[in-house]
Order: sequence, then structure tokens, then C-alpha cells
Amino acid sequence: MTAIRHIVLLAILLTGITARAQGTADLLKAADRYRMSATNMQVDTQISTFNTDGSPDKERRYTVFAQANHQSLVLMQSPAEKGQKVLMLADDFWLLMPNSQRPLRITPMQKLLGDASTGDIATMSWAEDYSAQLVGDESCGDVPCIHLSLTAARKGVTYARIELWIGKARHEPLRADLYVQSDKLAKQARFVMDKPAAPTAVVEMVLQDQLSNHKETRVRYLARKERTVPEAWLNPMFLARNPSLD
Amino acid sequence: MSRLLKIAAALLATTAASAQADVDFSGQVRPVWVDRQAATLGPLAEGARLAPELIALPASSGAIESELRGRWQMLNAAVAMRQERPESDAWHSDAAVNELYASGDALGWQFSAGRKIVAWDVGYGFRPNDVVQQETRRTLLTSTQQGRALVQAEHFDAHTAWSLVWVNPQRAADNEASTALGADEQALAARAYRHVGAADWHGFARWGQHTRSSLGAAVSWVANDSLEVHASARWAEGADVLAFDAAAQGLVGSSPYRVVTQSNRQQALLGATWTAEHKLSLMGELWYDGTAASNAEWDAWSARNRQLVQTWVPGGPDALRRGVAGNLGWQVQAFGGQSQRRSNLFVRATWDHEGWQPSLDMLYMPADRGRVVTAALGWQGDRVRVDAGARVNAGPGESVAARLPVKRTLFAAATWAF
Repeated sequence: MTAIRHIVLLAILLTGITARAQGTADLLKAADRYRMSATNMQVDTQISTFNTDGSPDKERRYTVFAQANHQSLVLMQSPAEKGQKVLMLADDFWLLMPNSQRPLRITPMQKLLGDASTGDIATMSWAEDYSAQLVGDESCGDVPCIHLSLTAARKGVTYARIELWIGKARHEPLRADLYVQSDKLAKQARFVMDKPAAPTAVVEMVLQDQLSNHKETRVRYLARKERTVPEAWLNPMFLARNPSLD
Repeated sequence: MSRLLKIAAALLATTAASAQADVDFSGQVRPVWVDRQAATLGPLAEGARLAPELIALPASSGAIESELRGRWQMLNAAVAMRQERPESDAWHSDAAVNELYASGDALGWQFSAGRKIVAWDVGYGFRPNDVVQQETRRTLLTSTQQGRALVQAEHFDAHTAWSLVWVNPQRAADNEASTALGADEQALAARAYRHVGAADWHGFARWGQHTRSSLGAAVSWVANDSLEVHASARWAEGADVLAFDAAAQGLVGSSPYRVVTQSNRQQALLGATWTAEHKLSLMGELWYDGTAASNAEWDAWSARNRQLVQTWVPGGPDALRRGVAGNLGWQVQAFGGQSQRRSNLFVRATWDHEGWQPSLDMLYMPADRGRVVTAALGWQGDRVRVDAGARVNAGPGESVAARLPVKRTLFAAATWAF
């Protein structure tokens, strides 16, 4: 009889844990929808970097094809980087330079090189890449919010740990602390919504560097549309042909 | 010059047309200054000492380099122009169509025809499996190579790629093709690629009109978050090299260097890149180039240099002085290969910080302890990139590096992209 009681208690406990995990996964998916309204998308992005005194530093334009199964293609559109591409297939990354006809296989660490971390631009969903734990209800300024602690579920992600705060009522992302592999706080993110009273989409992500230069980077989402790219576009050798990707 | 004007007119027409047609174009303009200090050792220095009116030492120069790339429907083009003024000389201009090809797809295959750049290998300092064309490696500034005339068919799916290339098809009926050096010959080349997890695998095959068959393989493998390892190997039934004609003894009336096809050559490279969280990258590469001159051939080259210098006795006839100088000048042709020595070690450190990119690299040739050391600093702004640096060829007096024509090069460039 005692054994049966233990089994029942264990079952209740496991059911509770599963339900809680399911609950946090659903919260992440809800938060993701404010940046990725569909599984396969084309997103035009503008990155503006500001010095610590607030003066403008650099501006870059990118087109991102964010596709299912952790696949992304980033096209650099600014004159200084025109023709450069970064392809991310789960944990595998390639850099394509305009003056070279061969893709460079790069490590996750090399992906972080350059003016803006490609991971900041290309990663638009947390639910697929992170497992979340509910930390608790908190207050984010005047807004009641939920604090989630995200741990990377695969090795290729830019940030190993993310502390995320989402709105309690609508689950829109509010702010996040982004930690690199060594568990150092790399950046703090703040999300700007289209309609603060009834948000439907993130229009801007403001990143404050905490690791090196303390500069502010604003990632502005200029246009989003649902788009599934041909399979060949996600082959690095196809991209090396410098094809038209319109 | 008229060629330059024609291309400039074409560029203007393209730019104007882009306002109305769906033309995608980009480009850059780059003023460059290169300060060269000639070596005091080596056959060129010896020749110039004997007959400065005959043997010109490498001069410093200023140049303006422009490049325009464009795409319109099925057509792709890349045009480069260069205006250069060597020190104590007049401006001269040159222009080249680096790429001009049409591309399209049918039946699941992609086709291209025209002049096109094709690069396949995985290394940085040495790329034996770039079998369609060989890029100049370790240049002081990035530059676009000139493509080959070719017809190309390619097929891609999610993880594989097949490429078939007919290089220099215009040479099919060219009787002179047998004298074309290396990749200038007519050839068929194939590349198979497969992405398997953390590794990219490549297989290569080439059949050249007179160098015959060659086979190669390459891999690039991401071992962990920070480390990438790459390797490349090639075996060639024949390889074209510029070699000294052993029949030429003493002073000769024309260059004793001839294009010869060597048989059964091997080339191999092993390298790795490590990148740290704070954006420091270290690269190391070790390669063997069986097409480079052997130690015995360099010994013979050194012996001939000494013999030529000793041929001249001060006060001798002027014709002898000019003859010795000319023969010493031809000895510089020995430097024409991809690698000077067969065994090479290359190390490179780069750091990326706030738009600044300092780098330091060294090519070391263990056979004679010669080395080529390059230090550079780049800065990338919104539209402008600035590069400056220095390269020194050094080593023991008998090393090949110490006897290259240039001892030290300083360079500075500003690139404006549009």
C-alpha cells in the first residue's frame, strides 16, 4: 500500500513537472510570436550602433531569411559589407565574402566577430533553442511580468544563458540579460513594441553591451513577411555562386 | 588607354541604366601607396649594381584602384581599373574584365558561361585544389582575381553540390595550348561536396590538355566552439613549372627558364584556426608543395648566381657587363611559383576590436630558415576602410626569402565602398 502511495505521489510530481515545463515552453512560444509570426520568414533589419556619449557610430542593413529547424541566412546590405553572407544551419556556420568564391567554415566563436553579432540578428526564436525555467512573477517598472531563466538546449546558440522577462498578460518580451559561454553578462536587451497598450510585434531590440565597449546597439525590424526559401539557398556552395537572392 | 575609356563608358552607361532597369551594382575605389625597399642581396640586386641602366629595381608606387560589380537579369560582371604611377615615372592605366558571365538554370542544374572566378579549396596560405584557377595568396590587400573563360554546370541539394567545369573551352582548337602555363590550358574539372555534420568534405578531379589527370580531396572540420581544422591534398600526373634549362651553361643570350611539365607531383596542407571569446584568432598552416623547386635546384640556382657574379671582372668589356647583368636578371624568374620552398609553415594572429583589426603573420621556410613577416592594421568604418602595414622578407643571406627582389614593403590604402 505504501509503494502504491509512493508511485501515485511520483506520478503526480512528474505530471506537475511536465505541465510546468509545457507551461514555460508555451510562454516562450508566445514570446517568440512577437518577433517570428511564422516558421519561415524574411526580415529586413537595420542595426544602429551608438557610442557611450550617445553619438551615432555605425549603421548596417541586413536581410535575414529565418527558416525552420534552426536555419538562417543573413545577407549584408550596407555598402561596407555588401555581398557578405552568413549561413547558419543549426550548429554549423559559414561566412561568404564577396571577393571570394568559396564559403569559409567558421566556428561559433568566429560567428561573434564583426560589428554586430550575427546571432543577434538571425536568432528570433527562443522556444526551439532554449529550455526555460519559471523563476517567478516580478514587476518590470509598472508592468507585471514573468521572469524566465533560459538555458541553451544546443551548442550553436550565441548565448548560453538568457534571463528573460515577459509581460504577464500578453507574454510580450520586455527585457533580457544575455550571458555568453563563460557565464559573463554580455548584453542587456530591451524590447520596443509597436503598440505598447496592445502589442502585436517587436519593432526594435535595444542591446546594451556589458562585456567590452558598453555601446548601445539598436536592432530595428523594418519589414517582416512569411517566406520559405528554396532548399538550395541553404547550401553554402550554392551561395558561393553569388546568386540573385531576391 | 582606349580600352580603359571604353570600359569607363560602359560603367557610366551601366550606372545610368541602373536608375531605370533592375540592376544591382556595387563597387569600391581605393587609393594605395606602396613603398618598396629593394633587397641588397640576390641576383636582381647584383644585376642592378652591374648595369643599373638595364636592370630596374622594384620601385615605390601610388595607385588608384576601382572596381565595379553588377548584375542585370542573367548577366554578371566585375570590372577593375587601375591607374598607377611608379616613383619617377608617368601615370599608366590598366583595366580588366574580371568577370562577365551569364547564368541560368534548367532541369535542376545551374549553368554559367563566360569569364568567371571559381575557387574551391579550403586553405588560407596555400590552395592546391583551386584547380580551375590559382589565386595569389597572402596579398597585402584584398583583391579580386581575374576569372577564367569557362562553361560550368552545377547541381545543389540540401547537403551536396556537384560542379563540372570546362575551363578555357576557346583553346579546344588552339595549337598553342600545349605551351600555356598551368591553369591556362584547356581542362575539365569536377568538384563533389558534401556537408556532414561539423565537416565539409570535398573531392576534386581535373583533366588538363597536357598536364593530364589530377585528383584531390579537402576537408574543413569545426572541432569545437573555438577550433576549426582544415586539410587539403592533391596528386597530379603532371604540373607545369618554370624551370631552369640544364643545357644552358655560362652566359646565355635568352632566358634559360622554360615551362616544363613535371610528372607525379604531390601537394598537401594541414591547418587550424582557433578563435577566443575576446575576438582573437590564431591560425597555423603547414604545407608541402611538390611543384616548388627542390633543395638541389635552389643550390644549383645559388651556384649559378655566384658563377655569374664571378664572370664579371671590373674593367672588362661593356658587353660582358650587360650580359652578366641580364643573366642575373633572368635568375629572378625562379621566384615565379606558388611556393618558393617545398615545405612551409604559416602562422597568423588577428584581433577584432571596435572596428580595428591588427594582424601579424609569418611564412617560415624551414629548409633555409627564410621568412616573410607581415604586420598590418585595418579600420572599418561605415563606408570607408583604411589599411596600413609592412612586410619584410628576411632570413640568412643564403635563404631564398633574403634574395627576393624586395626587402621591405610599406603600404597604406583607403577603400571607399558604394
